[in-house]
Order: sequence, then C-alpha cells, then structure tokens
Amino acid sequence: MKKKPPLRMTLPTQLVLRVMLADPAAHYYGLQLIDATGRPGGTIYPIMARLEQAGWVTSDWENPAEHITEGRPRRRYYRFTDDGAERARDALAQAYRPSKQPLVMPWPDLPGMSP
Amino acid sequence: MNHPSGPAGTDPVLAGLLAQIARHRPGADAQLITRAYRAAAYWHQGQRRKSGDPYLTHPVAVAAILAGLGADDQTLCAALLHDTVEDTPYPVTAMRQEFGAEVTGLVAAVTALDQVPAAQVSAACADQAAAIALAGDRRALMIKLADRLHNTRTIRYLPWATQVDKSRQTLAFMVPLARALGMDSIGAELESRAAATLKRRPGTAPGGLLAVAAALLPPEARARWRAEWLAELQVLPTRREQLRFAIQIVLGIGRLAVTLYQPAAAVRRAFGAVLTAATAASALVAGGWRAALALAATVLAVLAAVLWILHSHDRTQRLADLIRAVRRPR
Repeated sequence: MKKKPPLRMTLPTQLVLRVMLADPAAHYYGLQLIDATGRPGGTIYPIMARLEQAGWVTSDWENPAEHITEGRPRRRYYRFTDDGAERARDALAQAYRPSKQPLVMPWPDLPGMSP
Repeated sequence: MNHPSGPAGTDPVLAGLLAQIARHRPGADAQLITRAYRAAAYWHQGQRRKSGDPYLTHPVAVAAILAGLGADDQTLCAALLHDTVEDTPYPVTAMRQEFGAEVTGLVAAVTALDQVPAAQVSAACADQAAAIALAGDRRALMIKLADRLHNTRTIRYLPWATQVDKSRQTLAFMVPLARALGMDSIGAELESRAAATLKRRPGTAPGGLLAVAAALLPPEARARWRAEWLAELQVLPTRREQLRFAIQIVLGIGRLAVTLYQPAAAVRRAFGAVLTAATAASALVAGGWRAALALAATVLAVLAAVLWILHSHDRTQRLADLIRAVRRPR
C-alpha cells in the first residue's frame, strides 16, 4: 500500500482553506476560488486535487436543475467533508508563524533630523 | 431644434439609404427621411458601437433592412430615430414637433419593448408578443425585429456571455414573433444566426489548450477535469480572459499530474518539469497555430521578464514589481 504524501501547507493552500472556512458548510467552484484568492487556476486546481486526495474536501457536479434554469454550464462544486473543516482549522493553526516584522515601525530617518 | 442640413448627395451613407428605399418603394418621402437621418446623426454624434463603428451605422442599417421589406415613411423615420430617446438627450417633445405624433409614438413603442425585462422573455412571451401585436402598432414590432437582426449580425463584438444570452432570447422570443408577423425571411436569418452562435465553441485556442492539458492527466481523471475547465472557460466574458485561464491551467498541469499520478517521491520533481515541457510541445501539434502562438508569447514574456530582472540593480524590487503587475487586479 502506497503511503499518502503529507499535505503541505503552502501559502496558496492556506489561502484556499481560509476562503472556504469563511463558510465551512457552503460549496465553492473553481473560478470562485480563483477570484477569491487571486491565484491562477494552475495553482488552485492542483490544490483542490490534493485536498480531495487527503479527504478534507469532496467535489460533485452541480444539480442539473440549477445550471439549466440559470442558463450556464455545469459547475463542479467543492465542499468540506465531515471532518474536513476541523482538520483545515488545525492545519492552519499549526502553520501559523508569528510575523518577523517588528510591530513598531523604526523611527524614520528624516533629512535634517540628526545633526 | 435645428439640425444641420445640406444636399443629400454629399453624404454617401444617406445617398445609399435613399437609393435602397427608392428601389423598393419609388414614392417614398426622401425629404422627410433625410430630416430623420440628420436628426439621428446629430444626436448620436460621437457615440460608437461595440464594433467601434459610429453609432449612426446601426439605425441606418435597421432602416435599410425595413426598406427592403417595403416599410412606409413613418416606420423608416422611427427606425432611424429608434435609439435616440433611450440613449441620447433628444427630448420627446422636440421629436413630436419635428416628426409628428405617429413617428414619435412608434419610437416610444420600440423603447417600451426594450424595457421588457430579460427574465420575462421566455417561452411564455410568445403570448405577450401576440398581445402587443394585437393591441399596439405592428410596425413597432417590425422595427424591433429589424433592430434585433442587425444586432445579431454584429453580435461577435459582444462578450461571450452576452452573446449566449441574446441568442437564447432571440430563439425564444424574436423568431416566433417574426413568424407570427409573417416576416419569414427575417425569422429564418435570426434563427440560423442565433443557433450558430449557441453551437459555436467559445474560442478554439483556449479549448484546444485545455484538451491537451487534460490529456496529460491519468485516464480516469481526464473527463472530469476537462469538463470542469471547459465549463469555467465558457463563463469568462472575453477571449483574452479565456486564453489566460487556459494558459494558467497549462502552466500548472505538471503539479496537478504529479498529484493525481502519485509517483515515487524521487521522480516527482523531474516529472513535473518534463510534463510542462511536453504540454508545450504537444500544444503546438494539437492546439493549432493559435495555441502555439500563445505559448510562444508566454515563453518570450517569461524570458523577457527574467532578462529584465537580471539586468537591474535592485533585483528583488523588480521581481516584486513584476509579480504585482502579473497578479490579477482586485
């Protein structure tokens, strides 16, 4: 049995998870996530595939009744699995790194300030 | 209100329109039509169609279509003026003084037809159309149909989503209406054009790129990703955005393939790079010259960017600038 590669918490992955955690029960489609994260499709779709493999997220074709009445092509919707949202929150918390930037800005060196 | 006037012979567009009218109805009132033409030219001055043509080309084309059907003077005047009330500050009272109640009434009826909300324009609207035809002026509906015909002939300048919308509306509402009014030739042209627009795939180059990209995925996953991307592609409004979407998918296909194939860790890195290169190569073959051109442009852009960054004093700053420029604006 092949061992599953661990899910790396890259920055775009964290972004996607944050967007989806804004409403963990909702479903999201690819273009929506691309727009919300500002990352290109070449980044987002592989992330969705990884999240699906890890069992955090599941995807399904949208109910035909909806896209036909709205007159647009069928969407593929992604949503969290039962424990997906919780695992995503844990992973985000673990991936958190305090900022290396000092909280207080250094005093600006304005011309003529120092003798 | 004074509109500049002069001899008809100086304006080739007007001369052409008058000739077309005279061919179908020799007794037409050329003077009245010339006045309507000048008023339309005056009020639409500076406005442009989505195609970039002067806006005046549209009312003139609509009037020419109607002239071909032998429409009367009032209908032709109203056709020339049909967008002035909605899209220009031409006061209705001034129009009534200059062209009379009949022409003004026709223009008002056409404008009112425009304001039927698109959501209502469905199969049920055939009845509504019949009601309007019975109650109101049949000539207003003729102008509306000629208007739609010219818009359909020039639909390629609109965003893709709008094209689909309008074409559906044309099939559901305008074609039955044309048949009901006995304008069979217009109905047939509207139907074939709208059907052709709906059948046309949204841009072959982006679609071809995506098909090539999907072909590199594991066989059991191909259909799903291709369908998902083509669906997203279709809702993007412009060709440029579609091409950009497709190129970005192609650039990320290595990562997706690695995820889906799950190769041994040692092979994983090289695999992604090789796949991206293979995509580029096969896009040349399967995607046709447009796809090849798009890829060549991308490669050149990347090369230019690399050179631009290397030949600068502050490389990190340049890199940051570049990333900011490439990111989609929010």
